[in-house]
Amino acid sequence: MKTASKLLAGALFLLLATAAQAQTSSSSSSSSSSPKHAYGTAGCGLGSLAFGDQGGAIQVIAATLNGIGGQTFAITTGTSNCGEAAVSVRGAELFIEANKEALAKDAARGSGETIVTLSHLAGCKDPAAVGVVLQKQLTTIVPDGAKASVEKTISTLRSDKSLACSVLG
Amino acid sequence: MTPSVALAAALLAAGAPALPPPAVGPGAPRPDAAALVERARALGLARDTGWLRLGHWRRGAFGWRSEARTPGFFLAPGGAEDPARELEATIEGMFSPAVPEPEGEESIEPERMHAQCRFPARLAYLVQKLELDPQSLPRQECVRLGAFWRRVAARSVTLVFSSYYLNNPSSAFGHTFLRLNKADPGAGGDRYELLDQGADYAAQVDTTNPVAYAIRGLAGLFPGRFSARPYFYKVREYADYESRDLWEYDLRLEPGEVAMLVAHLWELGGTEFRYWYLTANCSYQVLALLETAAPRLDLTAQLRWITVPADTVRAVAASPGLVERVRWRPSIQTQFAARTRDMPDRELDQVAALADDPATALPSGWSAAEGALVLDAALDLVDLRYAKQIVNETDPGALRLRQTLLERRGATGVIAAPLDAPPPPSGGPDAGHPSRRLGLAAGGGRGEPAFLVAEYRAALHDLADPPAGFSPRTQLEFGRVRLRFTPERPSLRLDEAWLLELASLNAIDRFDHRPSWRLRVGGETILDAGCDRCVAGKLEGGAGVSHVALGDAVVALGTVDAEVAAAPGLKGTGGSAARLGLGPTGTLRLASSSRFALLANASWRWLPSAAPAATYAWSVQGRAHLRSGSIALEWRRAPLANEALVWWRAFL
Repeated sequence: MKTASKLLAGALFLLLATAAQAQTSSSSSSSSSSPKHAYGTAGCGLGSLAFGDQGGAIQVIAATLNGIGGQTFAITTGTSNCGEAAVSVRGAELFIEANKEALAKDAARGSGETIVTLSHLAGCKDPAAVGVVLQKQLTTIVPDGAKASVEKTISTLRSDKSLACSVLG
Repeated sequence: MTPSVALAAALLAAGAPALPPPAVGPGAPRPDAAALVERARALGLARDTGWLRLGHWRRGAFGWRSEARTPGFFLAPGGAEDPARELEATIEGMFSPAVPEPEGEESIEPERMHAQCRFPARLAYLVQKLELDPQSLPRQECVRLGAFWRRVAARSVTLVFSSYYLNNPSSAFGHTFLRLNKADPGAGGDRYELLDQGADYAAQVDTTNPVAYAIRGLAGLFPGRFSARPYFYKVREYADYESRDLWEYDLRLEPGEVAMLVAHLWELGGTEFRYWYLTANCSYQVLALLETAAPRLDLTAQLRWITVPADTVRAVAASPGLVERVRWRPSIQTQFAARTRDMPDRELDQVAALADDPATALPSGWSAAEGALVLDAALDLVDLRYAKQIVNETDPGALRLRQTLLERRGATGVIAAPLDAPPPPSGGPDAGHPSRRLGLAAGGGRGEPAFLVAEYRAALHDLADPPAGFSPRTQLEFGRVRLRFTPERPSLRLDEAWLLELASLNAIDRFDHRPSWRLRVGGETILDAGCDRCVAGKLEGGAGVSHVALGDAVVALGTVDAEVAAAPGLKGTGGSAARLGLGPTGTLRLASSSRFALLANASWRWLPSAAPAATYAWSVQGRAHLRSGSIALEWRRAPLANEALVWWRAFL
């Protein structure tokens, strides 16, 4: 009985949340494609999140990213500018921006966890095929600065129809 | 079908009883707030463990006191000290009329949310304990809560430990946080862990002054908050940027408990706690969150006054059946070591050359595959050396270096195979010894009566402690105190008291030229003619080199140190009470197995313009680790001391 009551608690809570979601589904889908505020992906890279306004001796003795982002990742916002790890164009863009250093390296290698994850976010059919294409097109998606470019990566995935990245259209 | 709807359907199918139909008709009794408050009193819910954990109330000397600091966490005025009043106010708040959630703003203060949206975990608790009929509540729309719930979409929970990082005080003892998994690890199928949400508790540091940082952190003067961000940020931060391995402990929790955890995380999101570096730190709060979600667990009671992240991992691992699986994510440093471990010299030469000059031509006889292996290693080496410069784009040369290597690697057309980087045989923090250590010794020496020594160390690990679960090249000790009792005199004195004793050994090899360093802050008895066995405060630090051989069986450290010691009556520099010392220190550890270690230490100090002109100290100890503790034989020598001790040490 104890387990069942726990399940009740869980089910109840989820039903409440789902009810909230059902009432707001229309507004949520619009917000994922065109955010209400003009917020690009650039602010979600590691560098800009970590050292936005910190400086001084703390950076010398304690240059860690622990707690990067501050308000960006506060829980009560409900949505999060940089934290939307959803299967969508914006989710793919945010992922590339936040992982651009690691993605450039995985693309050069033609395989890796960031490629598998990006392939999932973009709705591509086969992550191995995505890896092969990204490696072939490395100089396009990593034009300079040793980091993956959000626009170039998305357009490369979009334009290669054999990858069938359905989310990107 | 969205994850939350699917999970709700799965839970109902699993046999949760159907919700009771709403009572209708004018005469039908409906439970209202007052009746439920009565029922709560009759059940004594205000003293129930589940309720107390939801409000983070602890019994103090003056009654109940919640660890949550912001008034917005409580509905009742004085709720922070009164769980019963808060319970009543919560019940009443759930029944207050529905209000539209303010639109347009990213976040709103918790006070402006309806209680149903502000405290979903409390609501679930009341439904369960009071058999509250949710259909009897006002229908409240919770937009932000719904969005958070969808963002997290948690089905299981993993405890993650990022390993020790001595370069930063807030990470020196490691760090723990939770990962809320969108998939159930036992279910098979694809997992996209990078997209899971990581939830952690950290101090909100608002000062750049290192002294203020240290003082406020130790004195609990920073606020601490929970935050949630995608796991890929944590992986990039710890594994890539700081080169710290991640240990992941998949937890076995009921679906209802996972839901309660996410709901309570939402409740905690708007509130602050006092962040105490030593006690109520990240790892303590993570355990408190797990306990609230699953009241059957009893985790924080196992902790001592000083809470170290490794201790919390051990508390979780010791809870029967809680840890389902342990996984390991190697840092870039570990990946690089795995790539180069079995490389022949000619390949290592190429890796070193490429990391300096990316245009270095590969030997003509090499296959594309061999070239790819060498370029992979060179890329990891460049990321290791220039992690900060690459992320912050402060060094165009480093970026060009990486760019060239990336292009060359891509041009090989070789698809990389998954890297085989097994976890260290010494295991993760769950395999480590408890961090508190108590020692008792009997000793005697030339020209000295026999004596007894008692030693207590608050945390964590020295170079001769049992090696499982710790880095073999790190000494991190906090709060070690040694007392000496001489029965013949009789006298009881303080021998040594150290706040911090740190040593970071970086083995110099062809790729890694980072210095090793050591640091001690505390006090010890002066064992030379500088004073009459006074206890002097001491600050000592140095840098040097380390060498490691035979897979950490032989570890040697040599540093050049500077120290300052001060005590009333000390014949110090230029006649003052403070004395400067300079000189070398050497440490050698021989460990034939995980059960035995020989540790030798020798230091010599030149004491300019002081009396005596120089001093020295050395010690040799052999320690054997048994199941219940360690025994050791130690020999110490200094100008005024020549003694041997037999030790018994236990870890608590």
